[in-house]
Amino acid sequence: MERKKLQKSDLSRWLDRIAQEHELIGPSEDDGVIRFQPVESSAEIAVEFANSLIPPKSLFFPAVESLFSFHKRGKDIELEATEPLDRDRVVFGIRNCDVQSLSLLDYVFGQDLEDVYYQERRARTALIALACPTPPRSSCFCTTFGIDPLSSDGSDVLLTDVGDVYLVDVVTEKGEGLVSLAEDLFPGLTDDEARQLQPRPVEMKKVDISQLREKVEALWEDEYWHKMSLPCLGCGICTYVCPTCHCFDIVDVGSTLEGERYRCWDSCMYSDFALMASGENPRPTKRERIRNRYFHKFSTFPSRYGSGYACVGCARCLIHCPGGMEITEVIKDILAKESISE
Amino acid sequence: MSDNIYLPWIATITEVRPETADTSTFVVTFDDPQLRESFTYLPGQFAELSNFGVGECPIGIASSPTWAGSLEFCVRAVGTVTNAIHDLDVGDKLGVRGPLGNSWPIEEIEGKDLLFIGGGIGLPPLRSLIHYVLDNRERYGAVEIIYGARSPQDLVYKQELKQWEEQPDVDLYVTVDAGDGTWDGPVGFVPPFLREINPTPENKVAFTCGPPIMIKLVVEALEEMGYADANIVTTLEMKMKCGVGKCGRCNIGDRYVCRDGPVFSFDQLRRIPGALEA
Amino acid sequence: MQDRLHDIVRKLLGEGTIEYFIGYGAGSEPHRVVPCFVTSDHEVERLVWGPLCLQNLSKYVLQAKDLEGKAGVLVKGCDTRAIVELLKQHQIEREEVVVIGVACQGQVDPRTLEEVLGVPMEQVQGVEDAGDQFVVTIGEDERTVAKEQVLLGKCLYCRHPSAFEYDFTLGEIVPFSIDAGESEFAMVEELERLSVEERRAFWQKQFARCIRCNACREVCYACYCKECIFDRKMPRWLDKPPLLSENEIYHLIRAVHLAGRCIDCRECERVCPMNLPLSRLYKKVQKDIAELFDYEAGIELDEVPPLVSFELDDQDPFM
Repeated sequence: MERKKLQKSDLSRWLDRIAQEHELIGPSEDDGVIRFQPVESSAEIAVEFANSLIPPKSLFFPAVESLFSFHKRGKDIELEATEPLDRDRVVFGIRNCDVQSLSLLDYVFGQDLEDVYYQERRARTALIALACPTPPRSSCFCTTFGIDPLSSDGSDVLLTDVGDVYLVDVVTEKGEGLVSLAEDLFPGLTDDEARQLQPRPVEMKKVDISQLREKVEALWEDEYWHKMSLPCLGCGICTYVCPTCHCFDIVDVGSTLEGERYRCWDSCMYSDFALMASGENPRPTKRERIRNRYFHKFSTFPSRYGSGYACVGCARCLIHCPGGMEITEVIKDILAKESISE
Repeated sequence: MSDNIYLPWIATITEVRPETADTSTFVVTFDDPQLRESFTYLPGQFAELSNFGVGECPIGIASSPTWAGSLEFCVRAVGTVTNAIHDLDVGDKLGVRGPLGNSWPIEEIEGKDLLFIGGGIGLPPLRSLIHYVLDNRERYGAVEIIYGARSPQDLVYKQELKQWEEQPDVDLYVTVDAGDGTWDGPVGFVPPFLREINPTPENKVAFTCGPPIMIKLVVEALEEMGYADANIVTTLEMKMKCGVGKCGRCNIGDRYVCRDGPVFSFDQLRRIPGALEA
Repeated sequence: MQDRLHDIVRKLLGEGTIEYFIGYGAGSEPHRVVPCFVTSDHEVERLVWGPLCLQNLSKYVLQAKDLEGKAGVLVKGCDTRAIVELLKQHQIEREEVVVIGVACQGQVDPRTLEEVLGVPMEQVQGVEDAGDQFVVTIGEDERTVAKEQVLLGKCLYCRHPSAFEYDFTLGEIVPFSIDAGESEFAMVEELERLSVEERRAFWQKQFARCIRCNACREVCYACYCKECIFDRKMPRWLDKPPLLSENEIYHLIRAVHLAGRCIDCRECERVCPMNLPLSRLYKKVQKDIAELFDYEAGIELDEVPPLVSFELDDQDPFM
């Protein structure tokens, strides 16, 4: 991996150069909400931001997308699969927690019956990560899940703010391609600079979660889930702002003559999520639904995919939950349980 | 399965056979002649059926892979999509996405005696295996079928029941919860009926499918008769959407019923937290 | 006030009068105050009261119906209107719930406070009420800010600072009012002055951003239907994908369903993660109901809501 530098004042020149070649996507503010969205130029990008409200998973697994359209002609039905992208994309400003969430989503969509829509978006999108500000947001806890907010792992290029310049780590060939679009903006580091320009370490509260899976699994029957679920209102915010949640629904919109089949986000917190046409519901109350969600994060996801926990410590859910439910407190509660065997 | 896991294939309905007041068998053939040849599946697998503009729903394949050319689905009109499928006629098209899920353990049960216990609309998923076994008769032992429904009108596959009744290598027992003037057979629920018949567990695997309460009581009965949990196999019903283990709806523990199931032995289910709670 | 709250709740729990108490508790960080369910004596100390107690806890009274016994709940004056409406709409029985009313002196809008102070909420260690201003602790510093600058929008027009339907009260009933400088309905009138096309464009831009997380519905005291019309499968009135066409229907139907029942608690707007200006929509509905029927929801227990009353000789034959 090669380390270069970029003057902060040159960032917009680089991004605008990228925007000439590719679709440029970055954190951009709209009515007080920061989202990753396509921009015409670097001027629309918010560089000083903690993190987006809607996680950048939406760029790969959109809140709503057409899978195919259908047209009936006489008795015949024609299906036309929707192309997920019309050009290659470059995402600027993604945080490492969200980069790591993509590698978790890769387990779901990228293997065992690949999802071609997700896969094409992943393949045709380059990630320019932006190392977290120091100090990071006070609620953040990615280090608890073993994530280094300054790491370049999973991105194509990593920018780290060290004052007047960004350190630029060019990680992949895709990244090299992006840097080469404006080669003259990226001088190498002198030996002195390499010594002096170091990222400031990120201080973050960290909890030892090595026992989390065993502990949560021992709590399946516990009364805990009833009481802790009382403040939950049953909305979908926690799942929609979560960068690792991947529940969706498939819905036809249109008439029986023509229309589109959409995939859209769905939430395991919704009371009708697992409701069957027969009227039976395996998760009839908030207790079962919330328990299912935390089990998914801390037990069933890692067990199914042999992965780490399905939480990257971005803190979006705890910041936005209207019932004030805090995943960090839930983790502490789970870890505090001695054992339920007595 | 298509490379695009969400893209169904188009098939034409070639026959609609009413089974009960709200349930019909739909026989469908793929429009693509090549696919008609190449499409293979295993008994116990299911497919997502589309009525475009209304939606998709998972339905077990009720035909046997030993039959060439067409697929059969037994559809009960309970939800939006199943009702819309019932509005379709011979010559109409629908979408078929599959085959999905695992299958009945056709290799593991070779040489074993087989006991099928079905309730109501629970017979069709078993029927695929029953025919598969009867079409590969030499690989399997004795076949016993216990079937019950709410009333004589609610029995599905009435023609086949007659056939199996006459077939010397099949022992068929049929009961109804409540009889009527046309019925002179046994009356009563499936679980006590099973206890009455009391089939020996020796060298036998039991397959059951039906309403949840029936399955629960059938399994209790089988266990008391000495069947090991590993030799009791069922196919689960859960709300499914994607059918490919991604949409997050149908999990029990870390298993997705649509991808890792729908067929599970009770031995497997007992090891999954919450699987037997409902 | 907090001590008196603790005393009352301890007594209610100790006597077995209530199974749990629904109040406000400290979140994991000082600026976050969260709904807090207290079931036992040793948890009572967690209950807090102050200017960051934003939630309308009345919604939680609905789930307490599942209890064998009663629940207790803390309500501000504005939240009392939800209790009154739930009683009027026969969703709860008065004897099922023990209401502790509090004399509120205005609540802080965190989004506005961030803007006014230029400091993110996460750096705010505390907010204290000091008469006509708030004292905000940021690190070692204390900063004062005039109430009218940072109050929740609804507090600017508050006519019921103290609870008016209660079993116990906290604090003296102190009159509280702020000179908001403009009419309560100014934000609606501003939109009403626009042409239909401009208004449509305004709302379409907003509705297009909706992600349909349902938080506005779930937080609403009045959304207690066993099966919401939006969740119905047969017939299906609304498609789940958050497309503009569907989002428009969602918000407009909700607004109409709230006509004559919306109590202006603005919880929908507060919880909306996308910052949709929903109170403008609901304020319009309140304005229409006030003008057409001279009615305000959640004030008088025995006043019949206009959209559920009818007369046999009504001039409209449809009725």
